[in-house]
Amino acid sequence: MEKILNQEKLREWVDMLDDCEVYAPAFADSVWNYARVEAGTDIDLSHTNTIGSVKEFVFPQREVFFRFEKKDGVPVLTATLPDPKPTVVFGVRPCDGRGMPRNDTVFNKEFEDPYYWARRDKLTLVGLACNQPHSPNCFCQSVGGSPHSEDGLDILMTDLGDRFHVKGITVKGVEAMERGRDAFGAVRDGDQAETEKVHDTSRSHPQRPLGNLDAIPEAIRESFDSPLWADMAQHCIGCGICTFLCPTCHCFDINDEVISPTTGEGERVRTWDNCQFPDFTMHTSGHNPRADLGSRLRQRVSHKFLYFVENHKTQQCTGCGRCITECPVGIDIVAVLERVSQS
Amino acid sequence: MVNVEEIRDYAANLLGKGEVKSVLGFRRGSASAFAEPCTITDVGEAASLVWDPTCLNNLTLYLVKDHKQQAAAKTPDNRPVGIVAKGCDSRAIGVLLQENYFKREDVVVIGVSCEGTGVVDPRKLSAKLKGRTASRVSFYGADGINVRVYGEETETVIPAQEVLADRCLECRAAIPTLNDIVFGEAVGAREFDEPFHAAKAAESLSADERWATWEHHFDRCLRCFACRAVCPMCYCPECVVDSTTFVVTLGTSAEEKANRIRWCERSANTSESAVYHLTRAIHLAGRCIDCGECERVCPVNIPLRLLNTKLEKEAFEMFEYQAGHDIEQASLLSSFRDEDPNSFIR
Ligand code: SF4
Ligand code: SF4
Ligand code: SF4
Ligand code: SF4
Repeated sequence: MEKILNQEKLREWVDMLDDCEVYAPAFADSVWNYARVEAGTDIDLSHTNTIGSVKEFVFPQREVFFRFEKKDGVPVLTATLPDPKPTVVFGVRPCDGRGMPRNDTVFNKEFEDPYYWARRDKLTLVGLACNQPHSPNCFCQSVGGSPHSEDGLDILMTDLGDRFHVKGITVKGVEAMERGRDAFGAVRDGDQAETEKVHDTSRSHPQRPLGNLDAIPEAIRESFDSPLWADMAQHCIGCGICTFLCPTCHCFDINDEVISPTTGEGERVRTWDNCQFPDFTMHTSGHNPRADLGSRLRQRVSHKFLYFVENHKTQQCTGCGRCITECPVGIDIVAVLERVSQS
Repeated sequence: MVNVEEIRDYAANLLGKGEVKSVLGFRRGSASAFAEPCTITDVGEAASLVWDPTCLNNLTLYLVKDHKQQAAAKTPDNRPVGIVAKGCDSRAIGVLLQENYFKREDVVVIGVSCEGTGVVDPRKLSAKLKGRTASRVSFYGADGINVRVYGEETETVIPAQEVLADRCLECRAAIPTLNDIVFGEAVGAREFDEPFHAAKAAESLSADERWATWEHHFDRCLRCFACRAVCPMCYCPECVVDSTTFVVTLGTSAEEKANRIRWCERSANTSESAVYHLTRAIHLAGRCIDCGECERVCPVNIPLRLLNTKLEKEAFEMFEYQAGHDIEQASLLSSFRDEDPNSFIR
């Protein structure tokens, strides 16, 4: 389904999704991030990439698996499977959209993760094509995507200035558009051509090149023991910014958080974990196989460009550029891959 | 204006004569308009050093890193390290010296004076550009910063005071007092802004208002720990938020494993994040030199500097103590004077 939505009708459409939780990017505290859209407020889609990615809607940083307590000396468990309202997220950039099928694979391949899917099944992603990459660190095209990729999105909107071209991609997406009814108009002569022109122009903007993508896994494999990793990680501070913000990083930790030791009350919680943290691979024996930052940088890059390719036939990086832009010391995954490929 | 060629020559000379094993400085990065830290070990690399308002990092962190590495190495290289240091960075070195973390002869301080300027606050810049990225940032005379926005043709000049880091606006000593050489003119106190003004403004709010502010911020914290990782004063081998040294042996019981002390849970929620931040702030009382690194690196822009400057203000007002200003002085926590106020001991 393809429709035209005048800029001023966007609000009307959103208001008709009133039985859903609607989120859209908002600029607050000097960053763009997804925020709940309150009834009657405007949506500003002039955003760059949001700081947090849409993975947070399906894989929140903190997920309670179940609650426990002791009643009359007997342990009692209470299930906490999430039952969210249908959720619609506006303004999803195509690189984040492409993260979703990759996350779906992870949370479905060997074991269907009920927490993830309880949220995922109720989530509709309304993408917004980039009229031009908004950061010099965007490289979606170098990893097989594009600034108007539909992969993982339910709807793709393209900004045509005074109006949006809106394309329903999945059943969920078409349904969300149908709910908007009269807000939409028909696609008229020229709209299609204009949309294609916007897409073409956007693709023609230079992006960071990755050379021969297919040769990268082998290059990484060969440089496993290279001193290059330590050299490239020399200034890494081992914070988790690169992976916490990544739309596809999904490692987690599970802990029991005891609220009251006397009643034995507490929660089993899944939280994000991070391959850049020193205790990530720490064995209970005290041995840490990835004790230095070089081996941790290698792990992050290998997971995305070697292991994921081996296991799932695609890169686990969508070129959003966040890990580059937000790294406090300038570690740049594109430059890293370049050096590994050349070594 | 600091002449970068002089810094390059000096660094090349130090390396050439073998007086240092490496020089910590800044180079142009591939990732953004901001400079990135570099460690150069041979003379030829000195030409890549840069100096401009995007040299944000406090490189003292890497002295700490090197010190840890040498301590763990089988054949340590204990030659001194050269470091390009702004006024605030040199104070960080000062605190480490006061705390006997390393010795004066372990470091050669290549001081750069911030003169009439300082460094840019990426958050202020981001707010000005509404999240868009700068592709070039440079000095524009004494009072301006020249910015080119990614995807735009023209450059914009922004008055320096609108985008300089708060600490630079409030700086009381823009010259590295601890140094082996200084490039740029000696400038001491600058009067762009009154010291501690943000902390003072916060104090005038009610407790409820203050808590509402911090609840909003702690709630947003991702617990990526970048604020800790970047701080040269956070050098504990094990931080309370990690659990790297809980060793399990054959004799460790399930009870012991379950009951091992966890000061702060992994959950990024308001209460656990508050514990993390308050613990960190207290551990920095009288030690934080206001380099602003914790605040700069925070991906969600939590104003952490406010917590630290509040304690800095307390140390200043109660004990006339300024961290890192005088390396002959004993550190605040390890010293006592008869005239110290003890009104808080009840
Ligand atoms: S990487 Fe591509 S899709 Fe993502 S924000 Fe940049 S231009 Fe848009
Ligand atoms: S690469 Fe950058 S963001 Fe990632 S852990 Fe290292 S310093 Fe932090
Ligand atoms: S690895 Fe970096 S560029 Fe790739 S998807 Fe993750 S954050 Fe984006
Ligand atoms: S850098 Fe920011 S988000 Fe990360 S732990 Fe510190 S305050 Fe939280």
